[in-house]
Amino acid sequence: MIKRSFFTLTKPRLLYDLVEPDPKEPESIPIPSDLTLVLDEPIDSTRQALIKEGDSVEKGEKLRLYNQSTDYTISPVTGTISAIDTYLDDFGNTSTCLVIKNSQSQTTDTNSMTYDLKDDIASADEYFRTLPGAPPLKILASNTVKINTIIITCADMDLLSTTHQYITLKFWDKIKEGAKILKKLTRIPKLCITVPENLNIPGESDLIQVFKTSMEYPSNLPAMILKNHLSMILPAGKTPEDMGVSFISAEAVVSLATAYKTKSAGFEKILTIIGKQGTKYRAKATIGTPLHKIFNAFSIHINDQDRIVIGGPMKGFATYTHNHPVQPDMDTVIIQDRDIIPEVSDTPCVNCGKCIRICPANVPVNILVRYLEADQYEEAADKYDLESCIECGLCAYVCTAKIPLYQYIKLGKYELFKLRALETANDE
Amino acid sequence: MTNNKLTVSHAPFWHDGDSLFKMNLNIMIATLPAVIFGIIQFGAPAVGVIALSLSSAMLWELILNVVSKQKISIGDLDAAVIGLVFGMMLPATSPWWLVITGTLVAVVIGKMIFGGIGANPFNPVLIGMAFLMLSWKIFFNFDAAYVNYEFNFTALAPLAALKSQGVSAVADLFPISDLIMGKQVGAIGSTFGLGLIVGGIYLILRGYIRWEIPVSFIVGIIVTALAFSMANPDTYAGPAIHLFSGYTLIGAFFLATENSSSPVNRLPMLIYGFCAAAMIILMRNIGAYADGTILAILLLNLVNPLIDKIRPKALGKGANNA
Ligand code: SF4
Ligand code: SF4
Repeated sequence: MIKRSFFTLTKPRLLYDLVEPDPKEPESIPIPSDLTLVLDEPIDSTRQALIKEGDSVEKGEKLRLYNQSTDYTISPVTGTISAIDTYLDDFGNTSTCLVIKNSQSQTTDTNSMTYDLKDDIASADEYFRTLPGAPPLKILASNTVKINTIIITCADMDLLSTTHQYITLKFWDKIKEGAKILKKLTRIPKLCITVPENLNIPGESDLIQVFKTSMEYPSNLPAMILKNHLSMILPAGKTPEDMGVSFISAEAVVSLATAYKTKSAGFEKILTIIGKQGTKYRAKATIGTPLHKIFNAFSIHINDQDRIVIGGPMKGFATYTHNHPVQPDMDTVIIQDRDIIPEVSDTPCVNCGKCIRICPANVPVNILVRYLEADQYEEAADKYDLESCIECGLCAYVCTAKIPLYQYIKLGKYELFKLRALETANDE
Repeated sequence: MTNNKLTVSHAPFWHDGDSLFKMNLNIMIATLPAVIFGIIQFGAPAVGVIALSLSSAMLWELILNVVSKQKISIGDLDAAVIGLVFGMMLPATSPWWLVITGTLVAVVIGKMIFGGIGANPFNPVLIGMAFLMLSWKIFFNFDAAYVNYEFNFTALAPLAALKSQGVSAVADLFPISDLIMGKQVGAIGSTFGLGLIVGGIYLILRGYIRWEIPVSFIVGIIVTALAFSMANPDTYAGPAIHLFSGYTLIGAFFLATENSSSPVNRLPMLIYGFCAAAMIILMRNIGAYADGTILAILLLNLVNPLIDKIRPKALGKGANNA
């Protein structure tokens, strides 16, 4: 953890990690006997489900809950569905998890189902949403959102993470290939790529415009990329997609390239694991693998009260179980020893102003937090710029009173969203 | 495979390690040069006043915590800082009851009834001081306070002398080097200018006070005093005596900078510091007060919420993409 330095006349600087030069091959984690897949749709017991426990599935088979479902997942193995269960996220939203019992031998690589692909984005969206790297095909294929710029992220967004950079170094040719495919499928003219300024990419491509991003956090967050490299100011409350910009991870581009070549889906996700001492391990694991299999492979021991963080230290989330499965968009897993977990407090804001100095979006956090604590979300958004927040987490990182500011803000946005949805519903 | 009980909480999972305790401890450390000097200068009574002030402030807060069934909050050292700074502003000869009445007002009325730490619109120390000065003005006559002391320098409070005797009389009485080195009569922790500056710079470098406030404050003192003295050098003293005597420096580094009652945005901080200082000089030069620091800062505390409204546009709001 980066602590405050002794002299801090100016705000602290948090720097992104650079991938090690000439990185080693990742450790291949054997396919486990049980895999867990997450579907972004709650179970609805009143409806006739398409799948049930005991069904056999084939590697590459598309699985949906109901006939009308738009969300799907692809089975990474041949086997049987052994459980279908409800999964609760941070905000109390429900989704569904499927457990698949793997019946294929762990060593031989069964071929995945092949698909009948057409050269358009809808066809890609039909099968490839859950490829490693989670390509945003749903948005790209959508008729309502008009995307005119695609940004491939080779610069990892959060601190400590180096997965995207690793992929960039190792699979540069595949990225170029994938970019070509993306261009063909989407007909989007503008393709850009973010690369940390200190990273030398293996080559250039006349297809892609390179954005060299600063090493200082949060320069790789979408709103900052828009601001610094596209000279676009993201209006408060809007997403980059609203502005016609879609972000896709380097790994997703690589996966797409492979998928189009083989006409089948891939399932091996590359992850960076950061141990308690800060040691970095790189693993290649099948989507759905429980995390503890990976920890075992690196002899990482988890004790009571330790914390498993999925994603980076600033924007990630903590899981309550080491059975948490590898997911398509999971790039980094951090294990924090219980002794270094910083505590939060219930002290009110003391107006020290550190958050104001550090906030890249000029949000008046010190005032905002008072409104959020009082559940005044509309006021918070209208007068105190709740929606301008780009969710970098820096305010909470520096808060002298150790207020979980970032959580307050995310919750505030979520509640505001619900309120507004309710209002529109009432208006209609 | 056993499933451990994991810690689940929210991002960010890092913290810079700072805390209220550390911040307040650093503020206390920063007062040390001035406090130690005061103790050497004024002897055992000074130790008594400082110790009583610090401990009684904490005790009042503790009692209030217990009575109102709140969580005990003195561990964050906020009350300790209030008590310590309060003690620094008293003459070494203050009677015990004056000290504890002052800290009672500071902690209870200045801080706790507004809702405790972070909720006070005024600097609690100043609330306590203002109360004492209004009620028992006599104890703040520094000339009278130290009649039994033998000093090897002019045993007159510089600002009071300036007020009563005029510029020409004080010019020789108080050489600047004496004032900076603490060779002056005053409150325990306010006389050693150099010590206060060292402590203040320490806090600025460590990021525990916002540099904009003390810097604009000092600039405000210099500019305003200079303007007066240039307009009429016979009536008004130059900036030096204003800067290095009375509560000016303790005000710049330890009073105006109190978090809750001061602005956090850059331009407002500069305005706030400058105006507080200008107000002090106005009071000293044309008002009835010899010092004026306490009232001036309280006044700026009052308008702070208004000034602090001037802030940069948040990302994606306003004209550039309305
Ligand atoms: S998370 Fe905090 S620091 Fe970051 S943009 Fe939002 S309010 Fe500002
Ligand atoms: S950093 Fe925390 S305590 Fe300081 S002003 Fe911001 S919210 Fe308040």
